[in-house]
Amino acid sequence: MVTRRLAERLLRTAARRWPAEVRDELSREWHAELHVLAERGERLRMLRFAGSLAVGRARVPLVARSGLDGPFRRTVATLLLAPPAGVAIILVAAVLMNLVYNQLLATVSWANAVQLPVLTGVTAGLAVLLARVVRRGAARTARTGPARNALGVVFPIGVTAVLVEYTLNETTEKLTRVAPGLVLWLAGLTLSLYGAGLLAGRGRVRAAWLVGVLGALVAADLAVVLTVVNLISGGPETVIDGVAQGDTVDRVSAPLWLFTSWTDWSFGLPRPTKREIFLITDLVELQPFLYLACTPYALAYAIRAARPAAPEPIAPPAPVPSGA
Amino acid sequence: MTIPVAKVLSALLADPAAERYGLDLMKLTGLPSGTLYPVLHRLQAAGWLLADWEEVDPAAAGRPARRYYRLTAEGVGAARQALAELRALSPDPRPRRGGAEPTGAPAW
Repeated sequence: MVTRRLAERLLRTAARRWPAEVRDELSREWHAELHVLAERGERLRMLRFAGSLAVGRARVPLVARSGLDGPFRRTVATLLLAPPAGVAIILVAAVLMNLVYNQLLATVSWANAVQLPVLTGVTAGLAVLLARVVRRGAARTARTGPARNALGVVFPIGVTAVLVEYTLNETTEKLTRVAPGLVLWLAGLTLSLYGAGLLAGRGRVRAAWLVGVLGALVAADLAVVLTVVNLISGGPETVIDGVAQGDTVDRVSAPLWLFTSWTDWSFGLPRPTKREIFLITDLVELQPFLYLACTPYALAYAIRAARPAAPEPIAPPAPVPSGA
Repeated sequence: MTIPVAKVLSALLADPAAERYGLDLMKLTGLPSGTLYPVLHRLQAAGWLLADWEEVDPAAAGRPARRYYRLTAEGVGAARQALAELRALSPDPRPRRGGAEPTGAPAW
């Protein structure tokens, strides 16, 4: 009797390791087999039978594993490859900008004025294409929730941005100068992606895009403002031998600085002046274009990956069981 | 396919029409219960194996009904093909200990 009680206790332990929906049937089956062994007086086999089930590896995680590996790999691949693709977009746009500029240089006087608009236009166009690709990939990635999605998107972008800045300048000096703005942009982008993901998860996709785009624009604008404010004086201008050096940027036009960096234009307003635009674009250089190249895909991923769960399809039987 | 799966399939294919209980399959395959039942569960999930309860009156029989297993028609074909592929991949046909052999002569 003691042996049987012990075996039954082991079977109860074993049953708890199985999914709830099969637990009762398995327990009933094992107790029937145990009964057969008990009738035969095979006490040792009873203990071995129950003990093996109690210490055997649980099968539940294996059922889920095959469904998780693929999405997890796709998620990692998407999030790691997209930032370098964003950088490649900027390079392609820069090459095209130079081609256009060289064509125009000999024929028109306003060739300089088209450089940044061309760079911005090509970068934006290619960034939208990248976003469409990433969006398709995001449909088959792992579901991790809006916070993890946002961090998963932003972290590789941050690493890429640091590497690019360091590679371009070969010192950490420029990186140190733009770092506060970069950190502010990454933090703002994370919040925007999180908010957009939350809304998308509730099925409010349009609101998610609106919040995401506005949030990302505000984050990028604030990042440019912070960089400029940190490194360029607001006035008065330095005067050397009675000559004003034009080395200040008036803060009144601060909200426009991101858009000025993209267009080389003051939108018909008195500020920023041409001299101020030169100072701003010369300082922030790559940053606004990195924001432009990466933000569309970041939003597309965060919103698509946060989609409400679709009903599970009824899977056909697996062709070959993968083992114990 | 792992060796335990191959052993179970091989044991079931020895007589596809036979109804096998868990203890029978443990004896035929040499597998411990902790390995056998997960394999049976997987084969059922794959649609290769059918599990039914013995039609017996527990009061009259003096014991609870047992659950028996047999291959489905799909499982018979798929198991034969899988074992044939396994044998084709195996360069060493030496028999192994532990009951029904996935690499031994086919039982069908």
